[in-house]
Amino acid sequence: MIANLIVGGLAAGCLYAMVGIAIVIVLNITDIANFAQGEMAMVTTFFAYWLMDGVGLPWWQAVSIAIVFGLVQGIVIQQVVIRPLIGGPVLSAIIATLGLNVVLNSLAGLIWGHQTYTFPSPFAFSPPFLIGGVHVSVDSVVNIAVGLVIIICMTLFLRFTWTGLSLRAASQNQTVARLMGVSITKSSAIAWGLGGLVGGIAGILVAPSLFLDTNLMSALLIKAFAGGVLGGLNSLIGVFFGCLALGVAENLTGAYLSPSFADAITFIIIIAVLTLRPEGIFGRVKVRKA
Amino acid sequence: MTRLVIEDVSVDFGGIHALKDVAFSLESGSIVGLIGPNGAGKSTLLNCISGITRPSRGRVQLDGTVLSAMSAAAVARHGIGRVFQHPELVADLSVHDNLLIACHRSLDYGLVSELLRLPSVRQQERAAADKVASVLSRLGIADSAGTSVRSLPYGHRKLLDLGRALLMDIRFLLLDEPIAGLNDSEIARLGEILLGLRKEFGLGILVVEHNMPFVSRLCDRLVVLDLGQLIANGPPAAVLSDARVMSSYLGEVADA
Amino acid sequence: MSAAADIIRVPKAPTSWSWGAALVGLCFLLACAAPFGLNGYGLYLLTLTEIFALVALGLNLLTGYAGQISLCHASFFGVGAYATAILTQKAGLPYLLSLVAGALFTTAIGALVALPALRLKNIYLAIATLGFGVVLQKIIFEWRSLTGGGGGLALTAPQIAGYELGATGLYYLTLAFLTVGLFGAWNVSRGRTGRALLVIKESEIAAGSLGINAARYKVTAFAVSAFYAAIAGGLFAYLVRYINPESFSVGLSISFLSMVVIGGLGTIGGSILGAVFYVIVPELLRGIKDAPGLVFGLLLVTVMVFMPQGLWGMVRRLARRSAR
Repeated sequence: MIANLIVGGLAAGCLYAMVGIAIVIVLNITDIANFAQGEMAMVTTFFAYWLMDGVGLPWWQAVSIAIVFGLVQGIVIQQVVIRPLIGGPVLSAIIATLGLNVVLNSLAGLIWGHQTYTFPSPFAFSPPFLIGGVHVSVDSVVNIAVGLVIIICMTLFLRFTWTGLSLRAASQNQTVARLMGVSITKSSAIAWGLGGLVGGIAGILVAPSLFLDTNLMSALLIKAFAGGVLGGLNSLIGVFFGCLALGVAENLTGAYLSPSFADAITFIIIIAVLTLRPEGIFGRVKVRKA
Repeated sequence: MTRLVIEDVSVDFGGIHALKDVAFSLESGSIVGLIGPNGAGKSTLLNCISGITRPSRGRVQLDGTVLSAMSAAAVARHGIGRVFQHPELVADLSVHDNLLIACHRSLDYGLVSELLRLPSVRQQERAAADKVASVLSRLGIADSAGTSVRSLPYGHRKLLDLGRALLMDIRFLLLDEPIAGLNDSEIARLGEILLGLRKEFGLGILVVEHNMPFVSRLCDRLVVLDLGQLIANGPPAAVLSDARVMSSYLGEVADA
Repeated sequence: MSAAADIIRVPKAPTSWSWGAALVGLCFLLACAAPFGLNGYGLYLLTLTEIFALVALGLNLLTGYAGQISLCHASFFGVGAYATAILTQKAGLPYLLSLVAGALFTTAIGALVALPALRLKNIYLAIATLGFGVVLQKIIFEWRSLTGGGGGLALTAPQIAGYELGATGLYYLTLAFLTVGLFGAWNVSRGRTGRALLVIKESEIAAGSLGINAARYKVTAFAVSAFYAAIAGGLFAYLVRYINPESFSVGLSISFLSMVVIGGLGTIGGSILGAVFYVIVPELLRGIKDAPGLVFGLLLVTVMVFMPQGLWGMVRRLARRSAR
């Protein structure tokens, strides 16, 4: 019984983690908490759905094009909304993303209406795996696998490519980065593009389980932030494990302590962890010199 | 006479020994220069005295009161003022208002009085503004009083930080590279200001600086740190001709 | 010493003072006359604006001055609303007393919330406060015997000294609280607490070196802002006469934060403007077919992109330009 809960929690946590990874990429490089991340992903997912349903493309083609759409969406948003705000107060940029959240949600509603659609998954009819006596759906395994692949790719990219290196430089110290020829706007655009891309993947993976409508991602967004904070927002692994932990904690508290208080209790756990470790479990403290 | 005693202070950051058994004292009314090559641990030592960093071993004592166990705010309240290498001023406020913040400790009205702006509050605020005005004229930057801090040249930011420390009723003043960004006449004036502070208030002053002429003219004594250890402590002339001091700055001295 | 001080003290331009004072006086007079010119719905909107302005004033102190992000102010607002309602309705206390007692209770909660938050910053602090908000909302929802749970509480008109407080009466009471609240906030901004909060926002190390106990002032900021939100909540409860836990959600906290930023973070005028924006603009957009949300969101983004200092920053810039 507890194994089932844990596996279920991991599966849910994985969904949060997908969004969380997108958030962390943007946050670490541009210092902006993107509250529109969920809605951006939702739009990308709807676009994929339209490619499959309206245009008739097969799953893999539609998803591949949609992911590129996600990348472009991220870059466009960065150029139009975020670029003018670089160098200004961070809270203004965050409120702008909140506005964007509303805009995207309304736009999606106008274009696609407020019905609920079923989003297909190529693994929907595959039999579940049996691991240690627990049934694990193929979707869940794919989610975890994709999550890990994204983290590995991002880590390799950031560490071993010139673009990745300039992104990290831009996030540490903008002045010095500029002096070394790194374009801050270009780094910001790449970061937002990557965030849009990863977010799109998240939406496409989430949609089969949660059904596609305009509110697909809104509940996930806060969970993604909460899990990210728990794990430590300046590390991809931190976000991943934090979100997984959050999913498991929710399931366990829901089953053993109280279903109605599950949400509240998981937040209490997060606050307790933060009291002891303000930077999150895997987070690193930013050292300031006096 | 009050005495600030640094007692065998050591600071370890992970595996790095930033300071190792540093011991010396600073009396009120004396000016001591703290010199040494980059990375010697000078700022770390100042941080220990200010209460920003806790020593791994040893203590900092002020006339018997152990400062190293206190928070930075408590240390400041005991009369230790600090001018930072990179002063953090409130960007949105003017020079005058930034200094007004430093009068915080001398104002003692409660929150409710503040909310109602009672006459006692108005009176204390006026007195604080007077103090700020006099510090501004002492430092010679009175005409920048209304300027926003954002447009202040670097050297003046240091002066402002000094002004903040002076408004705090201090007995000891720690200065971290105060003349960086100042031109020659401003450097001379700062020297005079510090000497004046010693004469008028009997302040004990500890100055971290790289400018040897400035430091040897100003200071009664020099303390030298190298790689976290104290390698010399004495009058400027003696210390500056000490072979160990020279080699720490210049590398190995070739055999003459 | 004093003679030097007279010469050196920064003179305040007398013209800008009298213009500002005249403008404030005019607004106040208009506000007092409002019930005679507005219909029932208009008066409701104005009362709501003033209630939100109270919340914004308190939140501005916490976020604009002390730099602490809070996503639980809707819960302080809600606890104030429920506390006032329960004390008036169930305990039978006079309305004004319940209002203040409820606010003091919420202030204590605000101070408690501040404690774990002392070491947190930015998004970490935001999520922690969000968590507190969720917990408080949940407690209100589950404590059915006291709060009526999900079904909410229906309220009868409040009374002051035996007279029933109708829409106009509540409006004037709100205006009175707002005026006092504005006065208090303005005084704090010119006093040692306001200045201490600004230093703490800029650098806790600098604050320490000035002998300022950052923890104490952060708790004070949380407490005072909770007080403002709670008074506003107690007024709100009797404006709408029906409260349920759903109204005091994370979404409302986010709206409160947006309100303060849109108006102009760190400015008192901004708190008023932000509240006006948040209440009046959606009303104006109500007629637009199909997409009031879309236009509002676009406006939000546009204001932030073109006026990062907020509406108040724009007003000041225009005033400076016309003064030349």
